[in-house]
Amino acid sequence: MADITRKVAQKILNSQKSGKTPTKIAPFQLVLLAAAIVLLVAYPFFPFVNNYWIDVGFFVGIYVLLGLSLNIVLGEVGLFDLGHAAFYAIGAYTTGILFTQLHIPIVVLLPISAIVAGGFAYLVTSPIIHLRGDYLCIVTIGIGEIVRITALNNPFGLTKGANGITGIGTPDFGLFSFQTPTHFYYYIWIIVALVIIGLLNLQKSRVGRAWNFIREDEIAAEANGIDVRSYKLLAFVLGAALAGIAGNVYASKMMVISPDNFTFMESCLLFCIVLLGGLGSIPGNMLGAAAIVIFPEIFRQFASYKLLFFGAALVVMMIFRPGGIWPRRREGVGFRGLGISGLPKDEDEFLSKIPKESVLISSGSNSSSPVSIESSAEKADGDVVLVTKSVTMQFGGLTAVNNFDLIVRQGKISSLIGPNGAGKTTLFNVITGIYRPTSGKVVFLGKNITGLKPHTIVSKGIARTFQNIRLFPSLTCIENVMSGPHCHAHSGAWSSILRLPGQKREECRILEIATYRLHQVGLWQYRNELAKNLPYGKQRLLEIARALATSPKLLVLDEPSSGLNDKETEELMDSLKSLIAEGFTLLLIEHDMNVVMGISDWVTVMDMGSKIAEGLPSQIYNNPRVIEAYLGKEE
Amino acid sequence: MSTLLAVENLCVNYGAVEALKGISLELQEGGIVTVLGANGAGKTTLLKAISRLVPIKSGQIKLEGEDLSKFPAYTLANAGIAHIPEGRKVFATLTVEENINLGAYSVRNKLSPKEIAKVKEWIFQLFPVLKERRRQLAGTLSGGEQQMLTISRGLVSRPKVLLLDEPSLGLAPILVQEIFHVIKQIHEEERVSILLVEQNARKALGVASYGYILETGKIAIHGSAAQLREDDRVRAAYLGGARVQPAK
Amino acid sequence: MRMLLEQFLNGLTIGSFYALVAMGYSMVYGVMKLINFAHGDLFALGSYLGYTVLVIGAGWITQVFGIWGGVAVAITAAMIGIGIAGLVVERIAYRPVYKAGRLPIVVSALGMSIFISNGIMAIWSPRFQAYPQNAIPSEILSFGDIRITLVKLVTLLVSLALMAFIYWLVERTLFGAAVRATALDRDTATLMGINFSKIILFVFFVGPALGAMAGVFAGLNYGRIIFNLGWGYGLKAFTATILGGIGNIPGAMIGGLLLGVMESLFEGFVSGAWKNVFVFLVLIIILIVRPTGLIGEKVAEKV
Repeated sequence: MADITRKVAQKILNSQKSGKTPTKIAPFQLVLLAAAIVLLVAYPFFPFVNNYWIDVGFFVGIYVLLGLSLNIVLGEVGLFDLGHAAFYAIGAYTTGILFTQLHIPIVVLLPISAIVAGGFAYLVTSPIIHLRGDYLCIVTIGIGEIVRITALNNPFGLTKGANGITGIGTPDFGLFSFQTPTHFYYYIWIIVALVIIGLLNLQKSRVGRAWNFIREDEIAAEANGIDVRSYKLLAFVLGAALAGIAGNVYASKMMVISPDNFTFMESCLLFCIVLLGGLGSIPGNMLGAAAIVIFPEIFRQFASYKLLFFGAALVVMMIFRPGGIWPRRREGVGFRGLGISGLPKDEDEFLSKIPKESVLISSGSNSSSPVSIESSAEKADGDVVLVTKSVTMQFGGLTAVNNFDLIVRQGKISSLIGPNGAGKTTLFNVITGIYRPTSGKVVFLGKNITGLKPHTIVSKGIARTFQNIRLFPSLTCIENVMSGPHCHAHSGAWSSILRLPGQKREECRILEIATYRLHQVGLWQYRNELAKNLPYGKQRLLEIARALATSPKLLVLDEPSSGLNDKETEELMDSLKSLIAEGFTLLLIEHDMNVVMGISDWVTVMDMGSKIAEGLPSQIYNNPRVIEAYLGKEE
Repeated sequence: MSTLLAVENLCVNYGAVEALKGISLELQEGGIVTVLGANGAGKTTLLKAISRLVPIKSGQIKLEGEDLSKFPAYTLANAGIAHIPEGRKVFATLTVEENINLGAYSVRNKLSPKEIAKVKEWIFQLFPVLKERRRQLAGTLSGGEQQMLTISRGLVSRPKVLLLDEPSLGLAPILVQEIFHVIKQIHEEERVSILLVEQNARKALGVASYGYILETGKIAIHGSAAQLREDDRVRAAYLGGARVQPAK
Repeated sequence: MRMLLEQFLNGLTIGSFYALVAMGYSMVYGVMKLINFAHGDLFALGSYLGYTVLVIGAGWITQVFGIWGGVAVAITAAMIGIGIAGLVVERIAYRPVYKAGRLPIVVSALGMSIFISNGIMAIWSPRFQAYPQNAIPSEILSFGDIRITLVKLVTLLVSLALMAFIYWLVERTLFGAAVRATALDRDTATLMGINFSKIILFVFFVGPALGAMAGVFAGLNYGRIIFNLGWGYGLKAFTATILGGIGNIPGAMIGGLLLGVMESLFEGFVSGAWKNVFVFLVLIIILIVRPTGLIGEKVAEKV
């Protein structure tokens, strides 16, 4: 027995380190899962388990649910929510008030509590969702307190003040109603099981990935077509709804609720569950919740000191294992971890079977396929793709871009060069929607895109890379590139949770496009590695693959050769030329003159925010003003 | 003339990038040496390594023969190295005067208040506009004025070595003239040895006596300023002459 | 009118506590980019230390130093003790966690906060403790219509004086400039010869020490203290920090005083039960309208 335990423990430890062959892990995890299910189902029948301990089991379930609800906001998206107990309270009080005042059945109140909590979350977080992490943190604390104090103050006599609402009924199905602790135990755990299935589906879907992109790097996410604001709101609403459900179940079990159940301390506990368990990790959450509930029970003789130990334990955990008890592992898990059904076991086989026509941009105009975009082959060579008209960008007293006119033509490589601080990146930021220009227009394919949000501009066909590479560091390379096709897909939360056929097809398409582009830049072998572990040159390529995966018409690259050695720069130049052959148009900021002179069709020179020259590379090379701007005037 | 600052076989990693791959250079006492190169060549990393702001993988940096790796970064200012960082890193919400006073922070016990006041007077002579704006918040100054401020801040401690990182960055040509004029003046009046990192090769070679060209972490060319000024390779390195296509 | 002035003075008093605690938050945040959740609990601990000094000293302190002397001793002891506690907290709960990222530091800070407040409960007891009556000066002054206790007046004067001193230290001395510079740009500050470790020592000693003084004054003014005192004050003080612009020390002072006054006026004229809701609504509205606080500096991220 001890032998098996040791082997199991060793396997767990091994699977936590860098993944080896992905296939071996899955059956092992299935075994764990089966064991956990058996344990949970059989628990009330264990010999030492009396009603008291069944209740403990119930509370573990409630806190697992609450932990999962906060995990969406904090773990998946990375938003500091320290007032989550507010949504728990809203659910509980909605149930309490509507039951005692209007006698609506408890079971009917479950979805209603979810909706009310979700709606509340939408209303209060909409105005503040854009706030920076620490500020958001304090606002959520404030929201938590506002809800609690409101409950305490008994507005309109509804919440019954400090003593709370009593006489809340239990779930009643007519013939059968929940009475015993055992009933409630199975009730909560069935709900938890359903929620876990739903969340797993959501985690491994376009929505879940979008959340993780936001957590890793909000600006990069927005620049890759993710509607950051909407996804953040979705996370809060969903998290609140689940907390509301927990509130309903809690209220119906305890039959009494009061403001004391929903203090800041409660929110802290939830926060700690998610952090202790591991951000975004569902098994970790469960362990964290179990720890939070069970440890005080075990150490009951130290009841008054339990929080003292708890506080110390938090500090110790963060020093020695900040990733959590069971961090979510992505590295080396393989495509299997993406949750897409119908994949061949062999990932190389998947790569070879991709229908080229569906992923290249210059072929076909099948608008029936949900992820394709119109072919740009119709546009003749030399047509204008992008124009900036008199764009000026001012920051306070500083004019970074001054009345700038830029033209980029179809199928050409245009380069923007100039000394450091000339305003090139600022101009790129205006083009890609990160800044709204002080004056002037940006016109893309004949349409005015000035001031549109970055993610909208991506869906219209402009993709960019950054000067200081902005990848999603803790995600795998293939996941990074999967952010590209995101903006052309449509599956939302519901179709992801329910795994509707349309969503499954879309996911497959997204993976196909990402696979193709990753392979195209030569990074196929790194597909399951974490982006942050790649050498610098390869990180550059990954960023380019990600931009290509958005199927853009115009690719805007900010210093793509920066940090690359001579050989890598040569390879980059060849790659860029082949992109033109495929039908892309390129706009580069570059400092490496070998790149600029070697592959550009047109060069625009910027200095101190203004255009000082433009023309063919050979013209620019001999232009005295340009020489002066770079090499300086002869004394 | 003795070697004031010596860099020997320096290798520095910047995150995942091998930023410097075995750099060796020398700065003689009283001399001006310039390090040129395109963006991303490693020039700023070199200066940051000398100031101990980034860790060194291997190699040595010696000030007057003494190995700097024993010194924590904040002691170098007192030892006589003033690093004027690129990008005009003024303390934006402090006044001009406070910025300059902080320049003297490292030597507040070494120099008497009178000596510090004298240096400040000299600086205000060099840059009268700073005297005019001494009570203004540094962040409200123009780019050129901020550059003057960062240089002043470095000079207040009366350093032995001045590490100047791209002083001409983002400045209008006429301001660039002025800055380089001042650099010459500082060198002549104060006998400060200067290690000048620049993108503006022509201007830099106009004030320096010796130069190194840095390309992707290695020294590609080095020689006296006069030699480098005439060198076609220097021009090619900056304007990619080798790969120019014939006019279409 | 009289009520207005009295509430105003009450507001200034509690506002000065918020201000003192808020300055500590701001100092640490400015330099370390860390929200020291344990800070409010250090305020409470200071209050308890002062209480202990007065209780243990009992008659002896007041005999030797006089009643005001006793107060001074209590305050000094609390300030030094909590200053040291602040350094200890930094050493054991924060320094080992910096490399792990923002979220683990927040959890560690929360853990420390829970540990300290429960530690207070374990050592002193979960019940209210009353500052010994015989150690608190009892004179009441009248200015025309208005009555104010001498303790409150002294609290106000000393707090404001200390705030003025800190303001002078941070805004007018070279060392203060060094602290501010470190908060703005740590690397460049190092180039100036500023020793970052010294700066940490300063902010983690002085910040909590200020809070400790506020804690003792709170005990003297309100008479009773309880182990989770730090939580409410800490939260409001943090609100004040945000109001003033996080990292901005004079802003924190003004934020604290302003918050105290607004809260008191609201409590006096509208409702005591809703005053915290009012405070948080103010915070939320300010952040929506002016995300960097009333006085705070603009922060822009380089893309």
